[in-house]
Amino acid sequence: MASDSRRAKLWDLPVRLIHWSFVVLLPLLWWTAENGEMDLHMTLGLVMLGLVVFRVLWGLVGSSTARFASFVRGPITVISYLRGLSKSESETSAGHNPAGGWSVVLLLGLLAVDVGLGLIAQNVDGVTGSLNYLVSYDQAEQATELHELGFNILLAVIVLHIAAILFYTFVKKDRLVPPMITGSKDLPTAVTTPVMAPAWRILPCLLIAAALTWWVSIGAPTSLEQFNAPPPVDASEYM
Amino acid sequence: MNRKITAIAALTLGLASAAVYAAKPADIIAARQANFKVIGKSFKGIMDEMRKPAPDMAMIKASANALAGGSSKVSGYFPKGSGPEAGAKTHALPAIWAKNADFKKSAANLVAASKKMQLAANSNNIDTVKAAFPALGGTCKGCHDQFKAKD
Ligand code: HEC
Ligand code: HEM
Repeated sequence: MASDSRRAKLWDLPVRLIHWSFVVLLPLLWWTAENGEMDLHMTLGLVMLGLVVFRVLWGLVGSSTARFASFVRGPITVISYLRGLSKSESETSAGHNPAGGWSVVLLLGLLAVDVGLGLIAQNVDGVTGSLNYLVSYDQAEQATELHELGFNILLAVIVLHIAAILFYTFVKKDRLVPPMITGSKDLPTAVTTPVMAPAWRILPCLLIAAALTWWVSIGAPTSLEQFNAPPPVDASEYM
Repeated sequence: MNRKITAIAALTLGLASAAVYAAKPADIIAARQANFKVIGKSFKGIMDEMRKPAPDMAMIKASANALAGGSSKVSGYFPKGSGPEAGAKTHALPAIWAKNADFKKSAANLVAASKKMQLAANSNNIDTVKAAFPALGGTCKGCHDQFKAKD
């Protein structure tokens, strides 16, 4: 990098950990479903739920580059950004660009929807997500089909995501992957330094995400009576 | 009089079995899938109640009865020629006919487990129902793994 740049922290640890967890979890979720390892599939699905919830909370109170408010832009900004893509300008702000911001929302949204559908899905062996008992058989059938469709849509968006990253790496000569691993990047001096959130904020976000996930995993009881009821029959008993 | 009754009975029986043979494989496949849906729904009916703090035993009984009824019909829904070769969309695997003795045993296991579930439901004790449930669920998976194609 030229001398008119300096090394700065771009992505904080939660953003990076969550990102690479997605990359590991998604193939595992696919594999466990394909191979009938439904017990593990549901456990990993709940982990995915926890990660998505945490990332959404972190999008509200995390570091500046993690916040939705900092990277979700209006359509005019997005279009003028995309028009300018062919020019070889250097970046004007740190973090997700106007187009990338929407792909983050899309990816997180699709993950959230698909986890939600998985929670009410069922298979012919009577293996069910922890909220399946709240919906009818036919609703669950539909949710199960959408759960599969949702995964395929997610795959398509991920292909696009990776294609975009390759485009930046090789065409725009902007290597996005190393900062997603190390957290730091050489930023032009004209760009304001991202503000990292204090580490303690991880704790409340983690607690909320874990509590919500646990509550969903026991069937989302809404009364104390329901809460104190014996746990639901564990499908793994006969698998 | 007695002869007449015997004759009518024989005729009815003959017509009934002829009807089964005359039924198109596609119709049999559709009827068998509808029957499995009944089994799936009643299975879920029992499971849903087990998850509630105050399970409705009447619901469990009704589901257990429907499940036992559907289960007893399973083995009759797989005449030769109603496999993938029939051309209709089915998840039935050729193994059903290649290893027919094993398949029949699987179906008999389901009948036995569903009868046990009926007894458990009639006991009016949710813990008895819960105790009978894993064995019942095991029969579904046991047969599907061997004899049903994945989606
Ligand atoms: C003896 C073997 C056997 C047993 C036992 C069995 N099944 Fe099946 N099941 C099948 C086969 C074969 C199919 C595929 C039928 C077809 O597509 O023609 C099937 C299909 C199904 C379907 C899909 C129906 C549809 O097309 O929509 C459901 C739901 C189902 N089974 C539920 C269950 C449940 C629940 C149990 C246990 C209580 C169970 N089955 C036990 C063999 C079995
Ligand atoms: C399971 C597949 C994947 C999913 C679900 C996914 C999801 C995401 C999400 C949600 C973000 C936003 C990060 C945040 O702000 O929290 C992101 C960013 C990013 N991802 Fe992925 N990703 C996947 C695979 C990959 C792969 C395989 C790579 C490496 C080639 C990659 C490289 C990146 C990079 C470099 C960024 C930062 C982009 C930028 O600088 O704006 N991702 N990804």
